[in-house]
Amino acid sequence: MTIHEHDIDELLELLWTLKERNVDSLGEALRISEQENPERIIEEMENAALVEIKGDKISLTKKGDAMARDIIRRHRLAEVLLSQIFELSDEAVHAEACKFEHILGPDVTESVCTFLGHPPVCNHGNPIPRGECCQRFKKEMKPLVLPLTELSPGEDGRIVFIAPKEHKRLDKLTTFGVVPGSTIKLHQKTPSFIIKIGETDLAIDEDIAKEIYVRRAENGDNRKR
Amino acid sequence: MHNHEKEVLRTDKKIAILGNPNVGKSVIFGLLTGKYVMVSNYPGTTVEVTTGHANFDKELGIIDTPGVNNLIPMSEDERVTRDILLNEDLDGLVQVIDAKNLRRGLLITLQLCEMGLPFLIDLNMGDEARSRGMYVDSKRLGDILGVRVVETVATSRKGISKLVKSTTKTKKSHFSFRYSPEIEEGAKKIAELIPEARIGKRSMALMLLSGDESLKPWLASLDAEAIKKIEQIRDRAQASYSQPLNYVITKRRLEEVHRIVKQTESREEKKAGSILESFGRLAVHPIKGIPILMAVLLLVYWFVGVFGAGTLVDFFEGVIFNEYINPTSTGIIERLIPSKLAQDFLIGDYGIITMALTYSVAIILPIVGTFFIAFGILEDSGYLPRLAVMVNRIFKILGLNGKAVLPMILGLGCVTMATLTARTLETKKERIIVTLLLALGVPCSAQLGVILGLLGGLSGAALAVWAGSVVTTLFVVGFLASKVIPGGSYDFIMELPPIRVPKLSNILIKTATRVEWYLKEAVPLFILGTIVLFTLDITGILGGIEIAASPLIVGVLGLPAQATGAFLIGFLRRDYGAAGLFALASAGLMDTTQIVVSMVTITLFMPCIANLFIIIKERGWKTAAGMVAFIFPTAFIVGGILNFILRYFEVML
Repeated sequence: MTIHEHDIDELLELLWTLKERNVDSLGEALRISEQENPERIIEEMENAALVEIKGDKISLTKKGDAMARDIIRRHRLAEVLLSQIFELSDEAVHAEACKFEHILGPDVTESVCTFLGHPPVCNHGNPIPRGECCQRFKKEMKPLVLPLTELSPGEDGRIVFIAPKEHKRLDKLTTFGVVPGSTIKLHQKTPSFIIKIGETDLAIDEDIAKEIYVRRAENGDNRKR
Repeated sequence: MHNHEKEVLRTDKKIAILGNPNVGKSVIFGLLTGKYVMVSNYPGTTVEVTTGHANFDKELGIIDTPGVNNLIPMSEDERVTRDILLNEDLDGLVQVIDAKNLRRGLLITLQLCEMGLPFLIDLNMGDEARSRGMYVDSKRLGDILGVRVVETVATSRKGISKLVKSTTKTKKSHFSFRYSPEIEEGAKKIAELIPEARIGKRSMALMLLSGDESLKPWLASLDAEAIKKIEQIRDRAQASYSQPLNYVITKRRLEEVHRIVKQTESREEKKAGSILESFGRLAVHPIKGIPILMAVLLLVYWFVGVFGAGTLVDFFEGVIFNEYINPTSTGIIERLIPSKLAQDFLIGDYGIITMALTYSVAIILPIVGTFFIAFGILEDSGYLPRLAVMVNRIFKILGLNGKAVLPMILGLGCVTMATLTARTLETKKERIIVTLLLALGVPCSAQLGVILGLLGGLSGAALAVWAGSVVTTLFVVGFLASKVIPGGSYDFIMELPPIRVPKLSNILIKTATRVEWYLKEAVPLFILGTIVLFTLDITGILGGIEIAASPLIVGVLGLPAQATGAFLIGFLRRDYGAAGLFALASAGLMDTTQIVVSMVTITLFMPCIANLFIIIKERGWKTAAGMVAFIFPTAFIVGGILNFILRYFEVML
């Protein structure tokens, strides 16, 4: 039987979560692993200098730690994306997130993280390891895509996507030209949201504004982030 | 009012005017026909379809269609317009586009192109576009679409003669574009299944792909298998997209629109906003908007309540009727008609001239007239949608949203007319709540005039108790209704048209149309009511009912037995009932508490017989019966409770 990268990823993930709970027992890791023949995988990992084993104690090497960290980061970001944006059920979120963690490239991971506004924790409250983009975010303090409700009055936003609860709502917004790609200006937030699209002023409820996700544009300039 | 199905034009030649809301369709229609219709800034007021004959060609019929944003209907209005395109044998269409909102107009244009209908574009309001630094190259637009594009500024009649000449030169557009292969494939397959129609099969197929439910009746001629096939094709096409097909289709159209706009529209650096624009912004400001709202209400009150109900009524009733018409007609009738009964019928206490005409013309007309002038100004200025923004949150308590402010305010003019406009609301739940609240507690201007005249003369406290009781009842009932009546959520998405200075001529014509409608509706009912009262009085039945109803009137409400007659007539028209109570009060038969209790009770009555008929027509028998069964007992219960409280605590008003 060959050892796949996939299996190693799974064990790295497992070791990371155990570490989060301050567990470093090799026996415990082998017991709860869902992979086939975990002993062999661990052996392989030791050979690849991903883990160090001393008696029953297992720990991640610097290299292994970095890899595990990335996997966990991808998994938990995927969870947030799938549950909060796509509103999938918990089971579906788990199953899909397990796939995502293996396939997301570094660039996509950054985009997802930025898109979600650099969330610090996943759905279950576990910390999401920070990425480079999060460091930059700290300086800029501006997530890339945010609900319209987060814009300040007077700001322009380019619509990235609309996540309506009802299709009818989407249809209505569409006929006014409120579609992904259009630029809108937020005029005010109370007593109702008022947006300007083209030369049309539209008053909308906060509920609807929450569902419109925009990329902030410096007045009139859509390219600037 | 008119039913659009009956209004179908029977002329040999006919054209229709269509376009987005607030682009000036109705003004254009007025200029082409000479027959005026309601022009309104409030999105969705033009629910009724208006038709007329061209003033430049008597043979040519013109249809003014309700404003649409899309020809895949999402509201009753849009459906009416789409049905006109499907069902009427039109020789051509005039699409009116607001030059500063080219994009929104072109979304409809592309659908006309697909339908293969001959049309021309009337690019209107170029003046407003230019003041915003926007220019549309109408020649280029015409070249791209292959149809005529005429520029007009309808409010100052610019370009109208050119438009008139062009009405016979409508053309089918050669413009076309393709959707994704999945959609094209689906459309092609559906087109093979459906029969020939006035509009192109491909466009019909695209509508069906969009899942347009309102086309169902049109498909009735197809056999069940074909319908099933269409649904399968639709499902298959949908399977390729995570978003609904109609959204995918509309998005594709918007892409094309964008391309056209890029080639035809140019912009200069935007000039500083005008004063009107700043005012428009202030009017919806969370804080600064409130004094504006107050000022507007105060002005309306001053104009209608003080000038109309005071000055004008004094003149009409006190001078014209009491000094001239009534003495003169009394003199003539007493000389000409010997029968005492016939004399009483015309000029007695319950006489047609002395009561019905005096009341409806001398008292109602000035109040209703001034109200409709004020309302017309509010409408044409574009303030009403902004008012809707301001009251949106309050209306949420009632299970409504700000849009419902239009029928509610209009209800202060005429509840019956307002009930008709309730159909512009989106959900059934909202329509029922608005209809109920209008019928229950929004006093029309006629009644307001009587009430303000009576209570204003007493004390501020009396007026406050009356208003407080009615408003509390409205909120409690509205709140409960919003909990009891089933229905989903409703969206508040509303266009705010630019603030404009209303045109006097528009206001006057509009007011005249409304007053005419009101008088046609009201005067016969006043006469009918007077006759009923007269008959009941003569035959002694009135006395009988007074005795029968006295436990309720005297016991529960604590009013004199004579008030029964007023309440009885209040079933016909509540303002008429209020006038009866006014008479009792003037005669010194009621104390202040009694006046307030009786006014609250009568205010909560159903407004009039005409309103009941409209409720039946709009909401159906069952709902109407339910409302009657709810409203009248509620009126007496609230009146009874108020009487009890005032007496128990010995409140001095």
